[in-house]
Amino acid sequence: MTVPLGAYIVVSAALFFIGCAGVLVRRNAVVILMCVELMLNAANLGLVAFSRKYGSIDERGSVFVIFVFVIAAAEVAVGLGIILSAYRNRPVVNVDEIHQMKG
Amino acid sequence: MTFDFVEPAVFALISIGVIAGGVAVVMLNRITAAALLMAFTFLCMAGMFVLLGAETIALFQVLIYVGAITVLILYGVMFTKFSDQPRALFFQRQTPLAAVFVAAVGIPVAIIALSFTSATPRPGGGDLVALATSVFTDFAFPFEVASVLLLAAMVGAIVLTKRDDPAEATLRRNR
Repeated sequence: MTVPLGAYIVVSAALFFIGCAGVLVRRNAVVILMCVELMLNAANLGLVAFSRKYGSIDERGSVFVIFVFVIAAAEVAVGLGIILSAYRNRPVVNVDEIHQMKG
Repeated sequence: MTFDFVEPAVFALISIGVIAGGVAVVMLNRITAAALLMAFTFLCMAGMFVLLGAETIALFQVLIYVGAITVLILYGVMFTKFSDQPRALFFQRQTPLAAVFVAAVGIPVAIIALSFTSATPRPGGGDLVALATSVFTDFAFPFEVASVLLLAAMVGAIVLTKRDDPAEATLRRNR
């Protein structure tokens, strides 16, 4: 017997919820970035699962996963750049305390 | 004797790893440990891609997520002062309301997710040829746009984190 598609989707949804809860609960900007990565990965699992179980032979769902990888890498680079430059201005990473964006 | 039980067993192990790693990332106080457990979650996710038969995606997952993104985030953790109290926000007055909300969202999601049944199983074999054919024919233009986006992100990250020249900084401050 093989693993049904629904099991993969349940794991994907669970990981997405966990990442969403992390974004809402944590206050450290770096941890929020990590939780966003978890959510992106959960979406990737859904895309690959549907692509492998339902999709046509040319793997279009997996192509979208490659683009998600590109976006995630760019997002982490720019996000950490913003966090580091904000930290250099004022040494806090708590997002509740970074409430002014004036230069 | 058949080995039909192997795939569900491996799936169960990997999914436990994914969920436990995700919960640990959200709950742990020590951020370095959380970053390493995030790498563990990504590794388990690569195993899940292998289980689905998408070996190329699993390879990219290990290269990009476990390799590059985890290292970047570890650098970010080490450059900033790490202290965080995640559990301060748990167990507050809205807990029953939040439980009702989670049940109202989660139960329909689980029912819908479990209602998907697989189409006919794919023949085995890798996904590399199909993936490469799609990327370099139908998705050639978005592929090039993605490379431009990566270049823009790289330049943007350098500009954001560049340390100002002191003379230039004083000049800007006096302006």
